Amino acid sequence: MKKQRKFLVGAVAVLGVVGYLMVTGMRDSMVYYLTPSELVAKTTADPSFREMGVKVGGRVAAGTVSYDQRTLDLRFDVVDIADGGKTRFPVHYQGPLPDTFEEERDVVVEGRFTEGGVFEATTVLTKCGSRYEAVEEDFLK
Amino acid sequence: MTQIGEVALWIALLLAGWGAIAAFVGGRVGRGDLVLSAEKAVYGVWAMLTVTSLAIIASFLGNEYRYKYVAGYSNRDLAFFYKVTGLWAGQTGSLVFWALLLALFASIVVWQNRSRNREFMPYVVGTLLVVLAFFLTVVVSVSNPFEQLAFIPADGRGLNPQLQNYWMTIHPPALYLGFTAFTVPFAFAVSALLSGRLDTRWITTTRRWTLLAWFFLTCGIIFGMMWAYVELGWGGYWFWDPVENASLLPWLTGTAFLHSVMIQEKRGMLKIWNILLILSTFLLSIFATFLTRSGLIESVHSFAQNLEIAYIFLGFLSALTLVSAALVWWRRDRLRAENQLESYLSREAAFLANNLLFVAAMFAVLWGTLFPLISEGATGQKIAVGPPFFNKVNIPIGLVLLALLGIGPIIAWRKATPRNLKRNFTLPVAMAVLVGAALWVSGVRHVYALLTFALGAFTMTTIVVEFWKGTRARAHIEGEGVGRAFVHLIERNRRRYGGYIVHAGLVICFMGFAGKAYNVEAEAALSPGESMTVRSPFGHTFRLTYEDMSWYNATNMTKLITSVRVEQDGRPAGMMTAEKRAYKQRDEVASEVGIRRAWNEDLYLILAGIDDANGVVEGTNPRPVATFRVLVNPLVPWIWMGGFIMAVGTLIALWPAAQGAEVARVPARQARPVAAKPQMVEA
Repeated sequence: MKKQRKFLVGAVAVLGVVGYLMVTGMRDSMVYYLTPSELVAKTTADPSFREMGVKVGGRVAAGTVSYDQRTLDLRFDVVDIADGGKTRFPVHYQGPLPDTFEEERDVVVEGRFTEGGVFEATTVLTKCGSRYEAVEEDFLK
Repeated sequence: MTQIGEVALWIALLLAGWGAIAAFVGGRVGRGDLVLSAEKAVYGVWAMLTVTSLAIIASFLGNEYRYKYVAGYSNRDLAFFYKVTGLWAGQTGSLVFWALLLALFASIVVWQNRSRNREFMPYVVGTLLVVLAFFLTVVVSVSNPFEQLAFIPADGRGLNPQLQNYWMTIHPPALYLGFTAFTVPFAFAVSALLSGRLDTRWITTTRRWTLLAWFFLTCGIIFGMMWAYVELGWGGYWFWDPVENASLLPWLTGTAFLHSVMIQEKRGMLKIWNILLILSTFLLSIFATFLTRSGLIESVHSFAQNLEIAYIFLGFLSALTLVSAALVWWRRDRLRAENQLESYLSREAAFLANNLLFVAAMFAVLWGTLFPLISEGATGQKIAVGPPFFNKVNIPIGLVLLALLGIGPIIAWRKATPRNLKRNFTLPVAMAVLVGAALWVSGVRHVYALLTFALGAFTMTTIVVEFWKGTRARAHIEGEGVGRAFVHLIERNRRRYGGYIVHAGLVICFMGFAGKAYNVEAEAALSPGESMTVRSPFGHTFRLTYEDMSWYNATNMTKLITSVRVEQDGRPAGMMTAEKRAYKQRDEVASEVGIRRAWNEDLYLILAGIDDANGVVEGTNPRPVATFRVLVNPLVPWIWMGGFIMAVGTLIALWPAAQGAEVARVPARQARPVAAKPQMVEA
């Protein structure tokens, strides 16, 4: 059995390297899922939280969308779905308008909350409509 | 007609329940009549599920919208083809479909083994029927395709436009065929544990099933990538999305299993490992089905939250895991290795490293996929890990595997001598250095891309040399011409050379993946007549001119189509179109990309936005500003080509071997293989 020990060392070394890659990989790519009010609460409590990647699920506020077709510059306010629209902040995104984007739609924005209180989004995903499952309520409308 | 379907579903469940009990009891007390009755029940379940499936399809074709399932996935305008494939368009139907495929495979197993492997069959049949009974219980209790709405809607909701794609209709069946086919080796493994017959019989008898499962799973994964590439419209084919990851998990352990069984066959090692690998491959297949169908984790194509199903699946999964673990523990004395590892420089060590890396990759992918759940459970905070995590872990693992792909098949068993190493590896290493240097000189500085191509050249050379050596030896010994010898070589040793072809395909795929390092992207808002240019990494300049916008009303959608003229290096290179489609039934918009394929790169055109879509349809603004995103995706065609080659290689390996081609065992104390086959000559 003694002879087998040197192979165990090799196996442990391989797993160690993979483990190391996993730990560092986690640090680089962790993204928090938050609601707008959670994000505001967290950044108020700890300003360094601004450095973390976050995904915020909220709703596009009515009457706030402005989009420049030429420069692909999108601005809108996102509101918290749960707290009745009390928490809101502006979002800025540079890129083509997502297909089903419109006012009052639920969206997930990924990016960083800047010092100026503007959320700089790297991606904007529209949430509704991408559900593949039929919902019975749809028929009852 | 459809009522018959529901009745058949209940009969199938009863038959599966009866058969499972009869098989296990019959096997335990030695009552052959009970076992035979269970085997008949397998055929019965298959027949009944065929009736059920036909009834579901009939209800789609008959527009019977009183059924919730039909109303949710079809409408009157839907094409005939998508009505037929409606069987697996949604959760409830796909669970029936899963069970149908498993019942089909189970019937084939029963038929194949009607007069052999009889000592295995009671528990094999029992295990297969337990799995079937589980799926059917889920179907009748919480996910019934014949559930009726309280009223009859005039029309259905229609099928999600993104699922109305050719690849998407064959992608789920291919995956399910893979998942369900893995149930067969799993059932044999369980039976081997229960009956105590733990030699290599359960492995050799299910080898083709494992290959078949692997074939379908590989095809399914590639079809899914093709669908994502043409339909999702962001220019990528893999996003490390939970549902994609779910299908990759059993593929990783299944691939490890395909390799590690060779070590058991040849050297009597890794017995526990093999059992554990096939058990986990099956468990991961169930897990993948469950993850896709429960929407437990947010995913771009998750099928809505359905927690009831989640708990049922989780319970079944836990029970299976516990029973499997207990069985392995119970039989641990019979699973001892007959030989030990002797050197790092041996084929055994290369295979072990391959296995370790496949399993490590599986754990990393599983961890990353489940992390949102783990973090939410542990801290109450939902945290996800993105693609950088998966890439950071899996790219290095993939590169080492790429090297092992070249080393494993040609390094000597037990202990390689320096002579063996020099003889086998001088040329491949030289080729790797040459290719690496050539790419460096031509300006490639991306480390992973350089490594992929250098290691790819290394592995490809070993494969070519293997084919060349075998052909030459055969031509010499049998006095055949080179072409004939080459064909015979593969024909007489399908498992080995089929495997090499799979390896070659995978190398090509890897190179295709590496192309991503050189993706080019450009974006512009253009008025008609304006153009934009992109420069591809192969040095071509593409100039795209937005010519015109047109639109038309189809039955279920309004299409807005832009036509774009392409010039390559100043020469006309045809037209491309990119569309926006507004679906009437579901109030959804989807983009339809344009792809211009060459052997080495794709020009990928996305219509990102139209300034005034209403103006086009109303005629007030027929040619508005349009925003385009243009990508050059180098080497993406190689991924599809590599995938095709892998499929062909697997089919060759799958094909029934010529007689007498069974592998020879390496004797315990003798370094050289005794087999006189020319292609086996080493050192």
